[in-house]
Amino acid sequence: MSANGPPVDPDDCGGNAAPYVLGALTAEEHEAFRRHMESCAVCREEVASLTVVAAALPVSAPQVSAPAELKRRVMSSVRADARAPGSEESPSSSPRAGRVRVRWLPALAATAVAAALIVLAVAAIVPSGGSGRTRVIHAEVLAPNARASLRVNAGHAELTIAHMPQAAPGHVYELWIKRSAGPIPTDALFTIAADGGATVGVPGSVSGVREITVTSEPLGGSSVPTSPAVIVARLS
Amino acid sequence: MQLVYDGQAAAFEVIYDRHADASFSLAYRMCGQRALAEDVVQEALLALWRSGARYDRARGSVRTWVLGIVHNRAIDALRRRTRRDRGLVSDEGIEERLVAPERTDIEVVRSDEAREIRDALEQLPEEQSRVIELAYFGGLTHVEIASMLDAPVGTIKGRMRLGLAKMRMTLGDPSEVVQ
Repeated sequence: MSANGPPVDPDDCGGNAAPYVLGALTAEEHEAFRRHMESCAVCREEVASLTVVAAALPVSAPQVSAPAELKRRVMSSVRADARAPGSEESPSSSPRAGRVRVRWLPALAATAVAAALIVLAVAAIVPSGGSGRTRVIHAEVLAPNARASLRVNAGHAELTIAHMPQAAPGHVYELWIKRSAGPIPTDALFTIAADGGATVGVPGSVSGVREITVTSEPLGGSSVPTSPAVIVARLS
Repeated sequence: MQLVYDGQAAAFEVIYDRHADASFSLAYRMCGQRALAEDVVQEALLALWRSGARYDRARGSVRTWVLGIVHNRAIDALRRRTRRDRGLVSDEGIEERLVAPERTDIEVVRSDEAREIRDALEQLPEEQSRVIELAYFGGLTHVEIASMLDAPVGTIKGRMRLGLAKMRMTLGDPSEVVQ
Protein backbone atom coordinates (compact mmCIF):
# COMPACT_ATOMS: atom_id res chain seq x y z
CA MET A 1 0.00 0.00 0.00
CA SER A 2 1.25 3.46 -0.86
CA ALA A 3 1.19 6.36 1.53
CA ASN A 4 -1.99 7.45 -0.23
CA GLY A 5 -3.68 4.08 0.08
CA PRO A 6 -3.98 1.24 -2.40
CA PRO A 7 -4.03 2.27 -6.07
CA VAL A 8 -7.11 1.55 -8.14
CA ASP A 9 -6.55 -1.40 -10.43
CA PRO A 10 -6.72 0.06 -13.98
CA ASP A 11 -8.32 -3.16 -15.22
CA ASP A 12 -11.05 -2.76 -12.64
CA CYS A 13 -11.97 0.82 -13.51
CA GLY A 14 -15.60 1.23 -12.51
CA GLY A 15 -15.60 -2.02 -10.56
CA ASN A 16 -15.42 -0.19 -7.26
CA ALA A 17 -18.35 2.11 -8.01
CA ALA A 18 -20.98 -0.22 -6.55
CA PRO A 19 -19.10 -1.08 -3.33
CA TYR A 20 -18.26 2.63 -3.05
CA VAL A 21 -21.88 3.79 -3.05
CA LEU A 22 -22.87 0.92 -0.72
CA GLY A 23 -20.13 1.84 1.77
CA ALA A 24 -18.46 -1.55 1.22
CA LEU A 25 -14.92 -0.32 0.59
CA THR A 26 -12.43 -0.07 3.40
CA ALA A 27 -11.45 3.43 4.46
CA GLU A 28 -8.23 3.18 2.43
CA GLU A 29 -9.98 1.86 -0.68
CA HIS A 30 -12.68 4.49 -0.32
CA GLU A 31 -10.16 7.30 -0.27
CA ALA A 32 -8.17 5.82 -3.18
CA PHE A 33 -11.31 5.45 -5.27
CA ARG A 34 -12.44 8.99 -4.41
CA ARG A 35 -9.12 10.30 -5.71
CA HIS A 36 -9.38 8.08 -8.78
CA MET A 37 -12.75 9.59 -9.61
CA GLU A 38 -11.26 13.06 -9.75
CA SER A 39 -9.63 12.09 -13.02
CA CYS A 40 -12.02 9.38 -14.28
CA ALA A 41 -15.26 10.54 -15.87
CA VAL A 42 -16.41 6.93 -16.41
CA CYS A 43 -16.29 6.16 -12.71
CA ARG A 44 -17.88 9.50 -11.79
CA GLU A 45 -20.77 8.74 -14.10
CA GLU A 46 -21.12 5.20 -12.79
CA VAL A 47 -21.14 6.42 -9.20
CA ALA A 48 -23.71 9.12 -9.98
CA SER A 49 -25.94 6.52 -11.59
CA LEU A 50 -25.73 4.05 -8.69
CA THR A 51 -25.82 6.62 -5.89
CA VAL A 52 -29.46 7.46 -6.54
CA VAL A 53 -30.36 3.82 -5.88
CA ALA A 54 -28.17 3.48 -2.81
CA ALA A 55 -29.67 6.68 -1.41
CA ALA A 56 -33.12 5.11 -1.64
CA LEU A 57 -32.17 1.96 0.29
CA PRO A 58 -32.76 3.41 3.79
CA VAL A 59 -36.43 3.78 2.93
CA SER A 60 -36.69 0.00 2.57
CA ALA A 61 -35.88 -0.42 6.25
CA PRO A 62 -38.94 -0.98 8.43
CA GLN A 63 -39.83 2.46 9.78
CA VAL A 64 -39.91 2.72 13.55
CA SER A 65 -40.28 5.74 15.80
CA ALA A 66 -37.17 7.12 17.43
CA PRO A 67 -37.48 6.93 21.23
CA ALA A 68 -38.55 10.15 22.93
CA GLU A 69 -35.60 9.78 25.27
CA LEU A 70 -33.22 10.03 22.30
CA LYS A 71 -34.62 13.42 21.37
CA ARG A 72 -34.25 14.57 24.95
CA ARG A 73 -30.59 13.57 24.94
CA VAL A 74 -29.76 15.06 21.54
CA MET A 75 -31.60 18.34 22.07
CA SER A 76 -30.18 18.68 25.57
CA SER A 77 -26.66 18.59 24.08
CA VAL A 78 -27.66 20.92 21.26
CA ARG A 79 -29.19 23.48 23.63
CA ALA A 80 -26.17 23.28 25.90
CA ASP A 81 -23.95 23.97 22.90
CA ALA A 82 -26.19 26.82 21.81
CA ARG A 83 -26.04 28.40 25.28
CA ALA A 84 -22.27 28.14 25.38
CA PRO A 85 -20.30 31.42 25.29
CA GLY A 86 -19.87 32.68 21.76
CA SER A 87 -23.00 30.97 20.53
CA GLU A 88 -25.23 32.99 18.21
CA GLU A 89 -28.34 31.15 19.24
CA SER A 90 -31.41 33.30 18.91
CA PRO A 91 -33.68 32.76 21.91
CA SER A 92 -36.67 34.05 20.01
CA SER A 93 -36.42 31.47 17.25
CA SER A 94 -39.09 28.82 17.32
CA PRO A 95 -39.58 25.76 15.16
CA ARG A 96 -42.77 24.76 13.49
CA ALA A 97 -43.74 21.20 14.16
CA GLY A 98 -45.06 18.87 11.53
CA ARG A 99 -46.34 19.59 8.08
CA VAL A 100 -49.20 22.01 7.64
CA ARG A 101 -51.53 20.04 5.43
CA VAL A 102 -54.99 19.99 6.90
CA ARG A 103 -58.31 21.38 7.93
CA TRP A 104 -59.75 20.33 11.26
CA LEU A 105 -61.94 17.35 11.98
CA PRO A 106 -65.57 18.18 11.28
CA ALA A 107 -67.18 19.91 14.21
CA LEU A 108 -69.86 17.25 14.53
CA ALA A 109 -67.32 14.49 15.05
CA ALA A 110 -65.44 16.61 17.54
CA THR A 111 -68.60 17.16 19.55
CA ALA A 112 -69.33 13.46 19.62
CA VAL A 113 -65.80 12.73 20.75
CA ALA A 114 -65.98 15.33 23.49
CA ALA A 115 -69.15 13.72 24.80
CA ALA A 116 -67.48 10.33 24.94
CA LEU A 117 -64.33 11.42 26.70
CA ILE A 118 -64.41 10.06 30.19
CA VAL A 119 -61.59 11.66 32.08
CA LEU A 120 -61.55 15.34 32.88
CA ALA A 121 -58.45 17.33 32.17
CA VAL A 122 -56.61 18.46 35.26
CA ALA A 123 -53.49 20.56 35.17
CA ALA A 124 -50.87 20.69 37.88
CA ILE A 125 -47.50 22.27 38.34
CA VAL A 126 -44.72 20.09 39.67
CA PRO A 127 -41.07 20.78 40.30
CA SER A 128 -38.84 19.68 37.47
CA GLY A 129 -35.31 18.45 37.11
CA GLY A 130 -35.07 20.39 33.84
CA SER A 131 -35.04 24.09 33.21
CA GLY A 132 -37.98 25.94 34.76
CA ARG A 133 -41.05 24.14 36.03
CA THR A 134 -42.84 21.21 34.55
CA ARG A 135 -46.54 21.51 33.97
CA VAL A 136 -48.39 18.21 33.99
CA ILE A 137 -51.68 18.12 32.15
CA HIS A 138 -53.91 15.10 32.63
CA ALA A 139 -55.50 14.39 29.30
CA GLU A 140 -58.98 13.25 28.46
CA VAL A 141 -58.87 9.64 27.26
CA LEU A 142 -61.58 7.79 25.41
CA ALA A 143 -60.58 4.24 26.34
CA PRO A 144 -61.84 3.00 29.70
CA ASN A 145 -59.11 2.69 32.35
CA ALA A 146 -56.51 4.27 30.08
CA ARG A 147 -54.60 7.32 31.28
CA ALA A 148 -52.51 9.94 29.57
CA SER A 149 -50.62 12.94 30.81
CA LEU A 150 -48.68 15.64 29.04
CA ARG A 151 -45.53 16.99 30.66
CA VAL A 152 -44.62 20.44 29.43
CA ASN A 153 -41.26 21.95 30.23
CA ALA A 154 -39.40 24.81 28.59
CA GLY A 155 -41.78 24.90 25.63
CA HIS A 156 -41.51 21.19 24.91
CA ALA A 157 -43.92 18.43 25.74
CA GLU A 158 -44.06 14.69 26.08
CA LEU A 159 -47.18 12.56 26.22
CA THR A 160 -47.12 9.55 28.53
CA ILE A 161 -49.82 6.96 28.07
CA ALA A 162 -50.76 3.99 30.26
CA HIS A 163 -53.23 1.09 30.01
CA MET A 164 -54.09 2.05 26.45
CA PRO A 165 -55.37 -0.52 23.95
CA GLN A 166 -53.43 -1.05 20.76
CA ALA A 167 -54.67 0.65 17.59
CA ALA A 168 -56.77 -1.53 15.30
CA PRO A 169 -54.86 -3.83 12.94
CA GLY A 170 -53.38 -1.84 10.07
CA HIS A 171 -53.53 1.36 12.10
CA VAL A 172 -51.20 3.48 14.19
CA TYR A 173 -51.81 6.31 16.58
CA GLU A 174 -51.00 9.75 15.22
CA LEU A 175 -50.36 12.86 17.28
CA TRP A 176 -51.78 16.23 16.22
CA ILE A 177 -51.25 19.74 17.50
CA LYS A 178 -53.82 22.50 17.37
CA ARG A 179 -53.06 26.18 17.64
CA SER A 180 -55.66 28.77 16.62
CA ALA A 181 -56.86 26.88 13.55
CA GLY A 182 -57.36 23.20 12.86
CA PRO A 183 -55.16 20.29 13.87
CA ILE A 184 -51.72 20.03 12.33
CA PRO A 185 -50.38 16.53 11.74
CA THR A 186 -46.99 15.67 13.18
CA ASP A 187 -44.51 12.97 12.30
CA ALA A 188 -45.22 11.30 15.65
CA LEU A 189 -46.78 7.96 14.71
CA PHE A 190 -46.73 5.31 17.40
CA THR A 191 -48.16 2.13 18.79
CA ILE A 192 -48.63 0.91 22.31
CA ALA A 193 -46.16 -1.39 24.03
CA ALA A 194 -47.21 -4.77 25.35
CA ASP A 195 -47.73 -3.27 28.83
CA GLY A 196 -50.20 -0.72 27.45
CA GLY A 197 -47.75 2.16 27.75
CA ALA A 198 -46.17 4.63 25.36
CA THR A 199 -44.12 7.79 25.65
CA VAL A 200 -44.27 10.19 22.73
CA GLY A 201 -42.32 13.41 22.32
CA VAL A 202 -44.35 16.22 20.79
CA PRO A 203 -42.35 17.46 17.79
CA GLY A 204 -41.26 21.08 17.99
CA SER A 205 -42.24 23.76 20.46
CA VAL A 206 -45.69 23.76 22.04
CA SER A 207 -45.62 27.53 22.33
CA GLY A 208 -49.05 28.74 21.23
CA VAL A 209 -50.43 25.20 21.07
CA ARG A 210 -53.91 24.97 22.55
CA GLU A 211 -54.56 21.28 22.22
CA ILE A 212 -52.76 18.04 21.52
CA THR A 213 -54.79 15.13 20.28
CA VAL A 214 -54.24 11.53 19.26
CA THR A 215 -56.25 9.67 16.65
CA SER A 216 -56.05 6.21 15.15
CA GLU A 217 -54.93 6.39 11.53
CA PRO A 218 -53.98 3.97 8.75
CA LEU A 219 -50.31 2.90 8.67
CA GLY A 220 -48.17 5.76 7.46
CA GLY A 221 -50.40 8.35 9.09
CA SER A 222 -52.90 10.77 7.63
CA SER A 223 -52.84 14.42 6.65
CA VAL A 224 -56.31 14.94 8.12
CA PRO A 225 -57.81 13.04 11.04
CA THR A 226 -59.90 10.13 9.79
CA SER A 227 -61.27 9.10 13.17
CA PRO A 228 -62.35 10.77 16.41
CA ALA A 229 -59.65 11.74 18.89
CA VAL A 230 -58.91 9.10 21.49
CA ILE A 231 -56.77 11.41 23.62
CA VAL A 232 -57.14 15.15 24.07
CA ALA A 233 -54.74 17.25 26.14
CA ARG A 234 -55.76 20.89 26.51
CA LEU A 235 -52.93 23.30 27.15
CA SER A 236 -55.12 26.39 27.45
CA MET B 1 -30.77 24.79 6.78
CA GLN B 2 -29.14 28.22 7.00
CA LEU B 3 -30.42 28.65 10.56
CA VAL B 4 -28.79 25.34 11.51
CA TYR B 5 -25.50 26.61 10.15
CA ASP B 6 -25.99 29.70 12.26
CA GLY B 7 -26.16 27.50 15.33
CA GLN B 8 -29.83 27.86 16.13
CA ALA B 9 -31.03 24.99 18.30
CA ALA B 10 -34.64 25.57 17.33
CA ALA B 11 -33.82 25.20 13.65
CA PHE B 12 -31.90 22.03 14.38
CA GLU B 13 -34.88 20.67 16.24
CA VAL B 14 -36.95 20.93 13.07
CA ILE B 15 -34.32 18.86 11.28
CA TYR B 16 -34.40 16.38 14.14
CA ASP B 17 -38.17 16.07 14.10
CA ARG B 18 -38.29 15.53 10.37
CA HIS B 19 -35.51 12.98 10.11
CA ALA B 20 -35.07 11.27 13.48
CA ASP B 21 -37.47 8.41 12.78
CA ALA B 22 -35.93 7.61 9.39
CA SER B 23 -32.46 7.89 10.93
CA PHE B 24 -33.35 5.61 13.82
CA SER B 25 -35.03 3.13 11.48
CA LEU B 26 -31.92 2.90 9.34
CA ALA B 27 -29.59 2.60 12.32
CA TYR B 28 -31.84 -0.01 13.95
CA ARG B 29 -32.02 -2.01 10.72
CA MET B 30 -28.23 -1.97 10.53
CA CYS B 31 -27.37 -2.52 14.19
CA GLY B 32 -30.24 -4.76 15.26
CA GLN B 33 -30.03 -3.34 18.78
CA ARG B 34 -31.98 -0.36 20.02
CA ALA B 35 -29.26 0.91 22.35
CA LEU B 36 -26.58 0.84 19.66
CA ALA B 37 -28.96 2.39 17.12
CA GLU B 38 -29.71 5.23 19.54
CA ASP B 39 -25.98 5.83 20.07
CA VAL B 40 -25.40 5.90 16.31
CA VAL B 41 -28.19 8.41 15.66
CA GLN B 42 -27.14 10.60 18.56
CA GLU B 43 -23.53 10.56 17.40
CA ALA B 44 -24.48 11.31 13.79
CA LEU B 45 -26.89 14.15 14.52
CA LEU B 46 -24.63 15.81 17.07
CA ALA B 47 -21.74 15.55 14.62
CA LEU B 48 -23.93 17.24 12.02
CA TRP B 49 -24.86 19.98 14.50
CA ARG B 50 -21.36 20.54 15.85
CA SER B 51 -19.46 20.35 12.61
CA GLY B 52 -21.76 22.74 10.80
CA ALA B 53 -21.46 20.33 7.88
CA ARG B 54 -22.72 21.93 4.72
CA TYR B 55 -25.74 20.58 2.92
CA ASP B 56 -25.24 20.57 -0.84
CA ARG B 57 -28.63 20.72 -2.54
CA ALA B 58 -27.11 19.35 -5.75
CA ARG B 59 -26.35 16.07 -3.98
CA GLY B 60 -29.91 15.19 -3.07
CA SER B 61 -32.54 15.92 -0.47
CA VAL B 62 -31.81 16.88 3.13
CA ARG B 63 -33.06 13.46 4.16
CA THR B 64 -30.61 11.74 1.82
CA TRP B 65 -27.83 13.87 3.29
CA VAL B 66 -28.78 13.15 6.92
CA LEU B 67 -29.25 9.43 6.27
CA GLY B 68 -25.88 9.30 4.55
CA ILE B 69 -24.26 10.60 7.73
CA VAL B 70 -26.20 8.09 9.84
CA HIS B 71 -25.22 5.28 7.48
CA ASN B 72 -21.54 6.14 7.73
CA ARG B 73 -21.70 6.30 11.54
CA ALA B 74 -23.51 2.98 11.69
CA ILE B 75 -20.85 1.36 9.50
CA ASP B 76 -18.17 2.75 11.83
CA ALA B 77 -20.01 1.37 14.84
CA LEU B 78 -20.52 -2.04 13.25
CA ARG B 79 -16.91 -2.33 12.15
CA ARG B 80 -15.70 -1.26 15.60
CA ARG B 81 -17.90 -3.92 17.13
CA THR B 82 -16.84 -6.53 14.60
CA ARG B 83 -13.19 -5.87 15.37
CA ARG B 84 -13.90 -6.08 19.09
CA ASP B 85 -15.94 -9.26 18.77
CA ARG B 86 -13.79 -10.88 16.08
CA GLY B 87 -13.75 -14.61 16.69
CA LEU B 88 -16.84 -14.44 18.85
CA VAL B 89 -19.49 -13.72 16.24
CA SER B 90 -20.23 -16.21 13.49
CA ASP B 91 -21.11 -15.25 9.94
CA GLU B 92 -24.54 -16.71 10.59
CA GLY B 93 -24.84 -14.26 13.46
CA ILE B 94 -24.29 -11.34 11.11
CA GLU B 95 -27.01 -12.51 8.75
CA GLU B 96 -29.32 -13.16 11.66
CA ARG B 97 -28.84 -9.55 12.74
CA LEU B 98 -29.88 -8.42 9.29
CA VAL B 99 -33.09 -10.38 9.12
CA ALA B 100 -34.18 -10.50 12.74
CA PRO B 101 -33.57 -7.38 14.79
CA GLU B 102 -34.69 -7.66 18.39
CA ARG B 103 -38.43 -7.55 18.88
CA THR B 104 -40.04 -4.21 19.43
CA ASP B 105 -43.54 -3.00 20.11
CA ILE B 106 -42.92 0.18 18.21
CA GLU B 107 -45.05 0.28 15.13
CA VAL B 108 -43.67 -0.58 11.78
CA VAL B 109 -44.97 2.07 9.45
CA ARG B 110 -44.97 0.93 5.86
CA SER B 111 -45.30 3.66 3.33
CA ASP B 112 -45.83 3.33 -0.39
CA GLU B 113 -42.31 4.42 -1.25
CA ALA B 114 -40.84 1.96 1.23
CA ARG B 115 -42.82 -0.82 -0.37
CA GLU B 116 -41.65 0.21 -3.84
CA ILE B 117 -37.99 0.14 -2.83
CA ARG B 118 -38.42 -3.13 -0.95
CA ASP B 119 -40.18 -4.71 -3.91
CA ALA B 120 -37.37 -3.65 -6.24
CA LEU B 121 -34.84 -5.19 -3.84
CA GLU B 122 -36.82 -8.39 -3.46
CA GLN B 123 -37.23 -8.79 -7.22
CA LEU B 124 -33.48 -9.13 -7.61
CA PRO B 125 -31.88 -12.57 -7.86
CA GLU B 126 -31.15 -13.70 -4.32
CA GLU B 127 -27.37 -13.55 -4.75
CA GLN B 128 -27.60 -9.88 -5.79
CA SER B 129 -30.01 -8.70 -3.09
CA ARG B 130 -27.95 -10.59 -0.51
CA VAL B 131 -24.69 -8.80 -1.28
CA ILE B 132 -26.45 -5.42 -1.37
CA GLU B 133 -28.05 -6.06 2.02
CA LEU B 134 -24.85 -7.38 3.55
CA ALA B 135 -22.96 -4.34 2.30
CA TYR B 136 -25.45 -1.54 2.89
CA PHE B 137 -27.28 -2.72 6.00
CA GLY B 138 -24.64 -5.10 7.33
CA GLY B 139 -21.74 -2.69 7.03
CA LEU B 140 -19.52 -5.42 5.61
CA THR B 141 -16.78 -4.70 3.11
CA HIS B 142 -16.76 -6.42 -0.27
CA VAL B 143 -13.77 -8.49 0.90
CA GLU B 144 -15.62 -9.64 4.03
CA ILE B 145 -18.67 -10.55 1.96
CA ALA B 146 -16.50 -12.48 -0.53
CA SER B 147 -14.96 -14.40 2.33
CA MET B 148 -18.31 -15.01 3.96
CA LEU B 149 -19.94 -16.29 0.76
CA ASP B 150 -16.79 -18.04 -0.43
CA ALA B 151 -16.86 -16.19 -3.75
CA PRO B 152 -14.24 -14.13 -5.61
CA VAL B 153 -14.14 -10.43 -4.81
CA GLY B 154 -14.78 -9.58 -8.46
CA THR B 155 -17.95 -11.68 -8.40
CA ILE B 156 -19.22 -9.85 -5.33
CA LYS B 157 -18.56 -6.46 -6.90
CA GLY B 158 -20.29 -7.60 -10.08
CA ARG B 159 -23.37 -8.75 -8.16
CA MET B 160 -23.52 -5.42 -6.34
CA ARG B 161 -23.33 -3.47 -9.58
CA LEU B 162 -25.84 -5.64 -11.43
CA GLY B 163 -28.27 -5.50 -8.51
CA LEU B 164 -28.11 -1.72 -8.17
CA ALA B 165 -28.41 -1.23 -11.93
CA LYS B 166 -31.49 -3.47 -12.06
CA MET B 167 -33.05 -1.61 -9.16
CA ARG B 168 -32.46 1.65 -10.96
CA MET B 169 -34.24 0.30 -14.03
CA THR B 170 -37.13 -0.97 -11.91
CA LEU B 171 -37.52 2.26 -9.97
CA GLY B 172 -36.86 4.72 -12.77
CA ASP B 173 -35.47 7.67 -10.86
CA PRO B 174 -35.54 6.62 -7.19
CA SER B 175 -35.09 10.22 -6.08
CA GLU B 176 -38.63 10.78 -7.37
CA VAL B 177 -39.83 7.85 -5.30
CA VAL B 178 -38.09 9.06 -2.16
CA GLN B 179 -39.29 12.57 -1.41
